Amino acid sequence: MKPFDIVVVGGGGAGLYAAMEAMKTNPSLNIAVLSKIYPNRSHTSAAQGGANAALGNKAKDDTVDMHVFDTIKGSDYLADQDAAEVLCSEAPKIIRELDNIGTPWSRMDDNTIAQRPFGGAGRPRCCYCADKTGHTILQTLYEQCLRKGVFFFNEYFVLSLSTEGSRSKGLIAMNLRTGKVEAFRARTVIFATGGYAKMYWNRSSNAAGNSGDGQAIAYRAGIPLKDMEFVQFHPTGLRKSGLLVTEGARGEGGYLINTKGERFMNRYAPEKMELGPRDLVSRSIETEILEGRGFDSPAGQYINLDLTHLGADLIKSRLPQIREMSMYFEGVDPIEEPIPIRPTAHYSMGGIDTDIYGRTPMEGAYAAGEAACVSVHGANRLGGNSLLEILVFGRIAGHTAAEEAGRFEPGEISRSEIEAVEQELREYMKPSGHYERYGTLREELGVTLAANVGIFREASKIEKGIADIKGLKERFAHVRVFDTSDVFNTNLMQVLELRNMLDLAETVAAGAYAREESRGSHTRTDFPVRDDENWHKHTLCTYENGKAVLGEKPVTMGKYELQERTY
Amino acid sequence: MGEHKEEMRDVTFRVLRFNPQVDNKPYFDDYTIPVEKGITVLRALNYIKEQVDPTVSFRAFCQAGICGSCGMRINGISKLACTTQVWDELEKCKVPDVIKVEPLRNMPHIKDLIVDMDPMVDKMKKYSNWVESTMPESKMGEKEFLISEEEFKEYDKSTDCILCASCMSECSILRANKEYVAPAILLKSHRMNVDSRDGIHDKRMAELVKDHGVWDCTHCYRCQETCVKSIPIMDAIHGIREEAIAERGVRDTSGARHAEAFMEDIAKKGKLVEATLPVRTNGLGWTLKNLLPMAFKMVMKRRTPPPPPLVKASKGIRKFREEFNEMTSRVKREQKDHKK
Repeated sequence: MKPFDIVVVGGGGAGLYAAMEAMKTNPSLNIAVLSKIYPNRSHTSAAQGGANAALGNKAKDDTVDMHVFDTIKGSDYLADQDAAEVLCSEAPKIIRELDNIGTPWSRMDDNTIAQRPFGGAGRPRCCYCADKTGHTILQTLYEQCLRKGVFFFNEYFVLSLSTEGSRSKGLIAMNLRTGKVEAFRARTVIFATGGYAKMYWNRSSNAAGNSGDGQAIAYRAGIPLKDMEFVQFHPTGLRKSGLLVTEGARGEGGYLINTKGERFMNRYAPEKMELGPRDLVSRSIETEILEGRGFDSPAGQYINLDLTHLGADLIKSRLPQIREMSMYFEGVDPIEEPIPIRPTAHYSMGGIDTDIYGRTPMEGAYAAGEAACVSVHGANRLGGNSLLEILVFGRIAGHTAAEEAGRFEPGEISRSEIEAVEQELREYMKPSGHYERYGTLREELGVTLAANVGIFREASKIEKGIADIKGLKERFAHVRVFDTSDVFNTNLMQVLELRNMLDLAETVAAGAYAREESRGSHTRTDFPVRDDENWHKHTLCTYENGKAVLGEKPVTMGKYELQERTY
Repeated sequence: MGEHKEEMRDVTFRVLRFNPQVDNKPYFDDYTIPVEKGITVLRALNYIKEQVDPTVSFRAFCQAGICGSCGMRINGISKLACTTQVWDELEKCKVPDVIKVEPLRNMPHIKDLIVDMDPMVDKMKKYSNWVESTMPESKMGEKEFLISEEEFKEYDKSTDCILCASCMSECSILRANKEYVAPAILLKSHRMNVDSRDGIHDKRMAELVKDHGVWDCTHCYRCQETCVKSIPIMDAIHGIREEAIAERGVRDTSGARHAEAFMEDIAKKGKLVEATLPVRTNGLGWTLKNLLPMAFKMVMKRRTPPPPPLVKASKGIRKFREEFNEMTSRVKREQKDHKK
C-alpha cells in the first residue's frame, strides 16, 4: 500500500474533525481514517447535553474569559491555562463553523443558536440540539467527510504503532472483515480513539468499545500518558447497565432513597439535597451503599431514584427519555416504581500527553479528544466541555499534522514486524495453556476498579486494586479465543480490547496511588484535602520494561491564581 | 439489607449462524439461558457470547439505543437488540419461549448477525446526503446562519435517524431491487433538501428522480412502522415527490406522470382507469413495446381491467370533490395566516 500522509485512528468527533481540517489545510494530502466501527456509530453520538461557547446569544455579557475561568475552576486548577484559553477562544468559531456546514442547532426566537445553562458555568453558554447534540454533530462531520472524499477504512482494529527511535512510522491493524493483519505506512498518525472509562465495565456509562485502544497502543510504544487517575463518576447510572439517567430527573424533583426509606441527601447536602454538585452526590450514594443502606440485587447494590410522587403527567411530559430508558434497560416504569441507580464511571480526563497543537512527545504522532490529555479538564471536567474539546482539538491536531506531514519520511514496516503481530494473535487461539474466559476477567476488572480505584480511594484499597490487576494480567496470559475464524472475529477483538484495558488500568491505579491528595474527581480518604504544595502538577505514566513508571509535569499557569474550589 | 428478587425464566434464543469460511448456508443454533426480567435481547446475546458460545458474532457498541450498531431481526421484525426487552418479545414468540434472532435483510450477509453496511454508505454518497453550504469555505466560522423555528422543525425529527438500517431491512422495494435508493437515504435527502443552508438542492433532486429513485416506493409504510426512532419517513418521501412535481413538472419522469394520472382519475371518478394508465405514464410506444405481451397473457387468463368507458364514477364523488376542495383551500388559508 502507498504510504499515507496522515492516518487518523478513530472516527468520532475528534477524528472526523481532524480528517476534515487536514483536507482543508492541504487538499493534496493522502489521508485515511481507520475505525473499528463505522464512524457514525462512535460514542460522540451519546453526548446529549451540548457544547459550551461564549457566543453571547443568550447572555449578552458572556465572555471568553468567563468561560476560561469556569473551566479552570472546574478543573480544580489542574488544567493548563494556555490550553483552556485555546479551548474557549476557539469555541465560538467552531460552533459557527458547524452551523455553517449543517449541524441542526436548536434556535432561539431571534433565529440565532440557542444556549442553555449548565453545571459549573457562570452564564448560559451551552449550545445544543435538543437532547441529541453529539449525535447530530457526529452525523454532520461524517456527512462532510463523505462529501470531501475522506478515505475510510471501516472496521479495522489497530494493533500497534510502528516506531523507529523517537519517531512513528505508521500502524499495524487488523481488517475485521478478513482477519488480515495489514501495515499502514504513514508520515503522521493522529490518535482519536475516545475514552477509557469502560474499564469499569458494568460500572460505566461508556460504549462497550471505549477501551482506550489509542492510549494503550501509544503507551506501549513509549508515549507517556498524563493524569490517568482522573476518572469522572456520574451519580445516577442505571444499576444493570451503568447507562446514565440525566440530571434532569433530580432537577424535576426526584428523590434519592435508601433501604430505610430516607432521603439521605439531607445528611450530606441539607440545603441543595439531591441537586448538590455531581462529585458530592456520587460520594453520598457510595457512602450509603458502603454503610449497608443500599438495596441488594443480582446485578449489585443500588439506591432508588424515586419519581413516583411526581405523577404520570409530569413524568410523561418532561422526562419521557428517562422513562423510556428505565423501561428499556431496567424493565421499570418510573411512574409505578423507583429507578434503581448507582454512580457510574463516564469520562476519562487523563490520556495521551499532548501540547496545545496536538503533538505528542513522539515525532509524527498526534492525539486529540478524550484519548488525549492537553489538559483542559484537569482533575474534573465541566459539563459541555467534552464535545467542545473534541471539536477544537480535533481540528487543531488535523491542521498541525497536515502542516507537518512533509517533514517526516514514512519509514518501512518490515514483514517480520507484521508477522510477529500475526503470531501473537494466533497464540490466543491455541488450546494448550489457554483456558481463561475474557468475559470473566473483564467483569472482575470492573469490580475491583470500582471497589478499589473508584469514587473513594485510599492507599490500602489501591494496593489491593494494583494486586488484583496484576493477577488479572497473569490470568490474561492464559485467555483463550474460541472463535478461530478469520471473518469478523469479535471474540478476538474483545480479547484485544481487554488487553488494552488491563494495561491502562495499571496506569490509573499507579497515578491514584501516587497522588496523595484529593482533587476534583480523585478522592483519597486518607488524604482528604487538596495539596497544592506537593501535588499541583500532572502525573506522567510511561511504559518501561513492561512496567508503569511515574513521572511528573508542571501545570501551565496564566492569569488565574490558585483558589479554593467552592460553589 | 433490602432484598429485591427478580422474576427469572429460561428462554431459548434461536440464533441464525453463518460463517462463510466453513458453512455453505446459514442454519440456526439454540441457546437456552436463564433470563432475569428487565434484561434486553442484547444483554442476553452478550451473556451467550461470554458464558456459552464465544463464536456467536454480532455488532454492538453504545448499548443505549443511539449508535445504531445492533440492528437485527428479532422474532421477524427489524429493530435494535439493545432497546428490546426479552419479556416483551416473549409475548410475540411463535414457539413459546423461543425468540428467533436473525440478521437484517437486504444487505450482503457477512457472518451470523452481521451484515455489510457499505451499500448504505455508498448510497449516502450517490444521493449527496450532506449539506453543501452556500457559504464559501474561507468565510466559515465567522458568523452563523439565522434559522427560523419553523425551518428547524422541518428537519428536527429527520435528524433523529441513527442509520441503523432497520427500515432498509423491512423495505419491500429494496428486497426486489438492491439498487433502490432506500428509505433512510430518502429521509436524509429530504432533510438536506429543506435546509436553507444547502446549495445543491437541484443536483440532489436530479439524482432522486432517476431510475431506482424516489418514484419506486410503493407506499407500503413498512419503513415508517419499523423505524426505531418513530420518524415519519413517508412524510419525507412524499415531500420529495411533491417537490419534484412542483419544481420539475409532471412531464419530467414516468413516476411523476404516473402520480398525476392517479390524481386525475381519483379526482374525476373516484377510482382508477387502469387500462389507460400505462399509456399515460410511459407513452404509447413504450406501452406497446413493453406491456403488449403481458396484456396478451392477461387476456388469456381473463385478468384484464374493465375498458375505460365502463369505469363509472363513484357515487357521490362530485360532492366529495367539492368538500375536499373546500377543505384543502381552508387548510392552505390557515397555514398562510399562521405563517404571518
